[in-house]
Amino acid sequence: MLTYLVRRVLLVFPTLFVISLIMYGLLALKPGDPIDEMRRGNPGFTQEDYLRLRKFYGLDRPWYVRYWRWLGQAIQGNFGPSRQFGRPAAAYILQYRLPNTLLLSGLSLLLAFLVSIPAGVISALRQHTLLDYVVTVFNFVGVSLPIFWLGIMLIYIFAVVLHGFLPAGGFATPGLSGTWPVFWDHIRHLILPVAALSSLQLAQWTRFMRSSMLEVIHLDYITTARAKGLPERLITYRHALRNAILPLITLVGLNVPLLFSGAILTETVFNWPGMGRAIFDAILVNDFNIAMVSLMFISLLVILFTLLADVAYAIADPRIRYD
Amino acid sequence: MKGRLLLSAMLMGLLVGIVAWASPSLNNLVIGATQEPSNLCPWEGSADTKENVMGIFYLGLTYYDSKGVLYPGLATEIPTAENGRLVAFYDTAGNLIRQEVLWTIRSDATWSDGTPITTDDVLFTYEVQQTPELPISTRTYSDLIKEIIKVDNKSFWIVYKTPNLFYAAVAGSIGLARFGDIAPKHIWEPVYRQVMAQVKATPEKAAEIVEGQFLGAPPSIGTGLVVGSGAFKFEEWQINQFIRFSRRPGFFLGAPGAEANYLKEITVRFIVNQATLISAILAGEIEAADDICLAGQDPAVLAAQLGDRAVVETTASGFIEKLNFNLFPQCATAADLLLGDKRTRQAIIQAIDREDVATTVYPGAIVSNSFMIRGDVGFTDDVNQWAYDPEAAKALLAAIGWKDSDGDGWLERVSADGRTIEFDMHWVATVAAFRIRTGEILQEFLKEVGIKLEVENLPGSVLFSTEYLNHGSDCTWRGIVEYAEAGGIGQAPADPLSNELYANDLLAIPVTPLLENVPLLANGFGGTNIMGWINNRFDELRAQALKEFSEAKRVPILVEMQKIYNEELPTAPLYERSETVTKAAGLVNYTKGTAVARGQFWNAWEWGWAQNGAVAVR
Repeated sequence: MLTYLVRRVLLVFPTLFVISLIMYGLLALKPGDPIDEMRRGNPGFTQEDYLRLRKFYGLDRPWYVRYWRWLGQAIQGNFGPSRQFGRPAAAYILQYRLPNTLLLSGLSLLLAFLVSIPAGVISALRQHTLLDYVVTVFNFVGVSLPIFWLGIMLIYIFAVVLHGFLPAGGFATPGLSGTWPVFWDHIRHLILPVAALSSLQLAQWTRFMRSSMLEVIHLDYITTARAKGLPERLITYRHALRNAILPLITLVGLNVPLLFSGAILTETVFNWPGMGRAIFDAILVNDFNIAMVSLMFISLLVILFTLLADVAYAIADPRIRYD
Repeated sequence: MKGRLLLSAMLMGLLVGIVAWASPSLNNLVIGATQEPSNLCPWEGSADTKENVMGIFYLGLTYYDSKGVLYPGLATEIPTAENGRLVAFYDTAGNLIRQEVLWTIRSDATWSDGTPITTDDVLFTYEVQQTPELPISTRTYSDLIKEIIKVDNKSFWIVYKTPNLFYAAVAGSIGLARFGDIAPKHIWEPVYRQVMAQVKATPEKAAEIVEGQFLGAPPSIGTGLVVGSGAFKFEEWQINQFIRFSRRPGFFLGAPGAEANYLKEITVRFIVNQATLISAILAGEIEAADDICLAGQDPAVLAAQLGDRAVVETTASGFIEKLNFNLFPQCATAADLLLGDKRTRQAIIQAIDREDVATTVYPGAIVSNSFMIRGDVGFTDDVNQWAYDPEAAKALLAAIGWKDSDGDGWLERVSADGRTIEFDMHWVATVAAFRIRTGEILQEFLKEVGIKLEVENLPGSVLFSTEYLNHGSDCTWRGIVEYAEAGGIGQAPADPLSNELYANDLLAIPVTPLLENVPLLANGFGGTNIMGWINNRFDELRAQALKEFSEAKRVPILVEMQKIYNEELPTAPLYERSETVTKAAGLVNYTKGTAVARGQFWNAWEWGWAQNGAVAVR
């Protein structure tokens, strides 16, 4: 196992190198550069201004030259400044965006995990009952509803129809002070985006848990356990669930990185300043540094969480061995 | 029992935030905006995103009111020839060769930390503006300045080496900082000197140093002391969320009655998604919208949704939505369609019911026939209105050889070299919802006259990239590109007399190379005349207008320019875009009034709630 882990960790570096090269190249191939943004916003912008600024920002050099320079700086932890925000790109993402995404995605994941497991188990154990049908319908609805539509509807109901019962978006109320008011204010701002973002995962994982549980509870060893007179509770939660949850662990592990980048719709609808939105905006306005540091970070997350999922799988299932 | 208590506490907590937003009772205002400035640096930045926010806590030497009248701001008076503050020198041929303008800063003008605003601030501002190592976006006006001469602590002469018609206007036209004209030396000089020292020491890292330590300096990103010259002072900036300002007591510009009757705090909230922003307005979390965030919304629908809780107002934006034609003979596709023949362009504009387009896609817009906006000095409506007339369009097209020979509904013609060319025209615009709809509508109208329109929508960052927009001669776009451009303005320059319409800058000294403003291979595809329109008379008139200080004498020049434009139609204007703002009932003086006022936030010192005794003066 240790050899396997070391090998996987060492593979991270060449993987990230190839990913960064491809990403930088793709970004460079996209038409437009930051100078075009300046030109659009400033009438009277002349060709001299354009050439001067291109030279100043090094955009007159070939992309692979710029990439090499970027790589040299990035290895030293310097990902360059953000042209959008005037701050170091890495510090901006780590300070202003990542925590927000961690909060939103983490809570969504936790909510989905905590609800989908018992919902899936109960649905499987009470198959073909009214409860099972209700859970199934909710699952289909959750999978079918687009997140952005669900988000807008939640805002409309809770903010507009209910006259501001919950906020229409954002991170915090300006000007609020005091520990508890600020804390509750954050909670209020989290409720709707977490509900929206977790809806798809919750529905998918519930279905998955249900299917996995149904498969396991009909296996011979479960029948044997019942025949031996073990309590049903013990059979369900100690024997059946433990095996049924294994595929879900892998699924969750693979989904975690997606929560960081895939929350863009939720972040846009709820004006939540997270990484998904940051990447999207950065690509549109040619803020290469923000785009690169965000994409590299997510790539690292994907690699690490895939590894974590493999390790967790091995721990949960003694039959799995890595060499 | 404990569970019920906890649940009740949580529900109460949920309700806490309902009353936390600003309201008349707190004498505050929350404004919604979809665009956030990237920094608070007075010299650098994009006009649209920054101008409003900077306008709250900066005041320029002058400002325009809601009727387009220019007033002194930080200055004691507007320099004119009559008051002796504008001195023009002419050569024997009558050409304006030098211009000197005397400004005096108000004796009570101070920065928000109490430091007096002086000529030293002006000199420093100009020094920074002209520093070649800094990525100042444009130096169009500052490059006209020969020198600034200090008279005393409050007065200074600006000597222009080339005439600057807009020597007293806003938005950086004077030639100092783009935002607010004058920057605080005592705040920015330490930053500037340190940055320049580092740049000199490690020139290969200049871009990084400047971006990180100048544009990213604490006064620029709001993490350090931020001072301004306006009626409000900066309080805090929560990035991606809001910026908050508080009133400066005793500011020299005010409104009738006690100062306490007017706003004491303003918060600008940034919500990038328009639907979410509108929800926040409907929920009462936002009491006013800026003039950009509701683009494309139907004012009537908004008014119905808001009822008597808020007022919906529309103003001219100063932007004209237009169809730009590819007139480059080098682009074979465009040349085959005879777009270079003005009769083709006249036919196309008559084939479109522009009134229908305007009311459908941009409620509140007004059909335009000029490159100038209504209400501006020299604007004339006494031009061909190009009314919707598909029969006239068909006749024009037939006259230049287009006919539906095969009966399939599309026009064809036979070229000089014997090729059969179908009228299949490329149209490209951004992915904005109203433009997607415009493409669909144009397809229907042009189909009626036998023109097939191939529509394409691209992200703005691609469409407006130099590689795309400036390469019309390479046929990157092969027919029409649609976007909005600031109307060429005779009074206040958003875009001085339409930068994109001239081919040769006959005003420049020294004279610029031939066709410098037309993007071609020879000039590295530089220039803003992306259509490739060349009209020598237009260029001559433009140069004359830009040297004519007398408005009375400038008007006939501008009228002739508009007539040429209207006849030639290098671009087919669709409509003047309107801007829609909402303001909660009781909010007074929150009005832009005219596109000449530039932005919505020109008069923050007058904003207030009628419920608190604020007097409506606009």
